[in-house]
Amino acid sequence: MSTVVPFLAIAIFAVAFFFIATEKIDKVKVVLVASGVMALTGLIPGSEVFFSEHEGIDWNVIFLLLGMMIIVGVIRQTGLFEFLGIWAAKRSRGRPYRLMVMLMLITAVASPILDNVTIIMLVVPVTIVVCNRLHIPAQPYLIAEILASNIGGAATLIGDPPNIIIANRAGLSFNDFLVHMAPIVVIVFVLFVLLTYVLFRKEFRYNAEHVEAVMALQEGRAIKDKPLLIRCLIILAFVIFAFAMPFITVNPSVIALLGGGVMALVSGMDAEAIVGEVEWSTLVFFAGLFVMVSGLVHTGVITAIGDWAVSVVGDNYFVAATTLLFGSAVLGAFFDNIPYAATMAPIVEGLTDGISDPRTEGGMWWAFALGADFGGNGTAVAASANVVGISLAGRAGHPISFWQFTRYGIIVTIFTTLIAWAYVYLRYFA
Amino acid sequence: MRARDLVQQVPTVHGSDPVTRAVSLMSQEKLPGLIVVDDKGRPRHVLPGTQVLRMAVLHAYQGDTALARTIDEEHADNFWTELGHRTVTDCVAAPGQKAVTVTEDATLLEMATLMAKVHSPVLPVVDGKGVLLGVVTLTRLLSTLALESAS
Repeated sequence: MSTVVPFLAIAIFAVAFFFIATEKIDKVKVVLVASGVMALTGLIPGSEVFFSEHEGIDWNVIFLLLGMMIIVGVIRQTGLFEFLGIWAAKRSRGRPYRLMVMLMLITAVASPILDNVTIIMLVVPVTIVVCNRLHIPAQPYLIAEILASNIGGAATLIGDPPNIIIANRAGLSFNDFLVHMAPIVVIVFVLFVLLTYVLFRKEFRYNAEHVEAVMALQEGRAIKDKPLLIRCLIILAFVIFAFAMPFITVNPSVIALLGGGVMALVSGMDAEAIVGEVEWSTLVFFAGLFVMVSGLVHTGVITAIGDWAVSVVGDNYFVAATTLLFGSAVLGAFFDNIPYAATMAPIVEGLTDGISDPRTEGGMWWAFALGADFGGNGTAVAASANVVGISLAGRAGHPISFWQFTRYGIIVTIFTTLIAWAYVYLRYFA
Repeated sequence: MRARDLVQQVPTVHGSDPVTRAVSLMSQEKLPGLIVVDDKGRPRHVLPGTQVLRMAVLHAYQGDTALARTIDEEHADNFWTELGHRTVTDCVAAPGQKAVTVTEDATLLEMATLMAKVHSPVLPVVDGKGVLLGVVTLTRLLSTLALESAS
């Protein structure tokens, strides 16, 4: 292979990444053109790009997302989140910190199972309605919910897109994530809840005279079709059970697709309406991204970076894991953490190839996952949930500026990443 | 028959106008929809009546009928008061979407096809520079069709 070829791949990738990061052009258009150019110039194996997991599109990731999008698309019709949000608001009786904790709990418990963006799309409107009733600014509650969703999503394989990418690249199972990620996420979440009291205490307002307006809300009316809700929850429970059962050896994407199919069947929704719930542009973005990354893999760029990283690290893997954790948090905060994880995953794979001790090897992957996930809180643009939540807040008359979000996001990212670092050291390197 | 034969003048709104003005204009003038124009008089958005109503609904409820159901009658009766001073630009559903327009020489079939496609009972007619000349409404189009067939 000519020496020019890797540089051509890097150039195309860098230009595309620039446009994705700056959002000057729609990211779907960027990846379609960039991956097409890579295919045309022979930077990717044209015949294998649709069929190779490691040098092409990872369909396991795409179909897992598709299946979960269908499941979420049906569940969101049930009114469950509207019910929970208003129920929580009534229980808090307008007490600000209590309200914030309950809303964060709902978000954090749901986000390991369902897609963060959808949860934010459901919880944000309820929060705005409740805050309008209480005549209080909604921004602190919305920011806290977004931060909670990114923390909660880190707990499972399906909770956050970087985890899905990492799991497929590293061959990690749903239970691996439950055993290694969930415990630290629970600890981080509890400490984060305490931190929010300090962070937002000056913005808490209690308007006793408006509490009655919240109590007038009728949460029971949110759920129109109770049997549908029960059926959906049963199917969701089966899907999670199937993810977790070691004797079910099929890829999680197959379980998600089957779960999505059954959910669509019992919901009685129109096929067209269900298809409309799928974010096709996100799936196309992932596919294009995989093709672009495969260009870097195929031309040897990833191997070269991996070899360089190995030569720098030597056998000091704790330093490598530390760099990976903090580096991922910083880079994941400035770029969308999905393209970051997709690009970095093959590099980490190269780095872990030479490690014989499974505990150390795991430590590297978990450091990477924790950094990429928690980095999602770093800035207003670091994760899709942040972008969507802030946009919804603005349209509903509670604008959140880039810096208003980011000044909390940075503190929470540093706080959570430091706890994660201690965990990685104690569990994998001590 | 062409668009120029059916075109009629209607009041328009600007993106900076409050949503409440847009809603009251539509209701007072009994319009089927509204055209939002820019400073040069070019159509920026075409809003069918339901979409003008949509702007009056707080964004939090839009697309979330479950949440709308939870609102008690007293507040539900006054839902539009929650809007405050929000402008048309703040509330329009797809700010980036181009307005669908026709030129004066558009035929009845062309206009009927477009109205059906974009679900709009009002079509802006523009000149060569894209400046609004007037609109063709669904009612006008339908009555023309009926007249044509009768004759």
